[in-house]
Amino acid sequence: MRIELRNVSLQHDGKPLLFQGINLALESGEFILVQGASGVGKSSLLRLMNRLQEATSGEILIDGKLIATYEVTSLRRNIGYVQQTPIMIPGSVEDNFNFPFQFHSTGAQKLPGLDEKQMWMDTFLLEGVKLSDDAMKLSVGQKQRIALIRTLLVNPKILLCDEPTSALDQQSKEIVEDSLERLNVEHGISIVLVTHLDFTLSRANSRRFLLQPNRLEEVSVSIS
Amino acid sequence: MFVVVAGVGSLLFKLRLEKDLAWGTMRTFAQLFLVGYILKFIFDIKNPYLVILCYTWMIFWAAQTISGRVKEKDVRLFAPTFVSMVVSYMIVAFVVTGAILQVKPWYTPQYFIPLGGMIIGNSMNAISIALDRLFSDLRKESDTIELALCLGATYQEATGDILRAVIKAGMIPSINALMTVGLVSLPGMMTGQILSGTQPLTAIKYQILVMLMLVASTAIGTAIVVHIVRRRCFTKAHQMALS
Repeated sequence: MRIELRNVSLQHDGKPLLFQGINLALESGEFILVQGASGVGKSSLLRLMNRLQEATSGEILIDGKLIATYEVTSLRRNIGYVQQTPIMIPGSVEDNFNFPFQFHSTGAQKLPGLDEKQMWMDTFLLEGVKLSDDAMKLSVGQKQRIALIRTLLVNPKILLCDEPTSALDQQSKEIVEDSLERLNVEHGISIVLVTHLDFTLSRANSRRFLLQPNRLEEVSVSIS
Repeated sequence: MFVVVAGVGSLLFKLRLEKDLAWGTMRTFAQLFLVGYILKFIFDIKNPYLVILCYTWMIFWAAQTISGRVKEKDVRLFAPTFVSMVVSYMIVAFVVTGAILQVKPWYTPQYFIPLGGMIIGNSMNAISIALDRLFSDLRKESDTIELALCLGATYQEATGDILRAVIKAGMIPSINALMTVGLVSLPGMMTGQILSGTQPLTAIKYQILVMLMLVASTAIGTAIVVHIVRRRCFTKAHQMALS
């Protein structure tokens, strides 16, 4: 699956232009890092890619077709978005994993089995967490990883991550960085990740961009 | 006499309500006499178009009042509230006057207009409560709604729990009234009938009918308006349209 932004601009109602003339293409299997200061529009850039928002002008193409031509619920299942603040549904960790499968758009998609859930929990180094644990009582770092797994269980082809490490301590940050890189390298999931922090990638086929007002510029080194 | 007593009380306790009391009393007389003459005119003519016009006028002002009471700048409320009140009352009025009371024709103004007035008054409160709650819950739960949308939910699925809570909130005053009627207070309509010489058991039968009619119309009206307004809070692409 490929996402392409062509000359995209965004302006929220009654506010100044957030950005304009943005061009970006995410190729299948690629890991794109977008860095930039707070308030520059990083989250909005992601939200355009799964159609939580509409661009003010320009075109967004998914596999060469305009984003608006896709059925939106199925589009969002294929392009998973993990929010900056991990939101847990009241209930157990397993309730949270099962949450996406109550929706009509899931269609014939089977509820993931215990093995699959456990495999992802191992991948994200959640050994100390049980499926029956109260999700609301987990640490922020654990919630962040549960939120990632919940999105991954839907089998997205692309993962959009909004500041996944901003609220984490150094140890949790390294775990999430490593897990996301493994997702990309070992499972072939394309990733677009926005952050205002440094983000370490060693193995992934990645490109880094710096988002500034009215400009998205490819850079060769991490901006911290 | 009663107003004079209240006025003297206001003077004694320096409440400065004398002018308001006098003005309120004059308005009560003027407004009710005016309504009385208009109703007499409509009752005498028995023209269905005039009945509908009168009813539409009442709903127009009720919908205007709700739009003013629920402070919401992102969604226009007049049309949904107007439509929901028309539909809910038409259904209930047709059943009550046509099927239960077997009034012929079913739009007979003596029945249609006063029942409509009571329903509109109750619906106004229920709809205001429900809409206030809808907007506050949608904003408060926006992250959870967005989470569900991101995982492939439609806006209906993402806000199903909120919708149910909102309709319940709108219904609570009507249900409370069912629980407390006759215990805490005697309803105004029943008291008025008894004072005008109607047998208490007859007045009670009408009161029960009115209470159940109010619950039904409140439920229908609230459910319709909340569904329409919720739709307006989202775009066709299931994006939240509230700021």
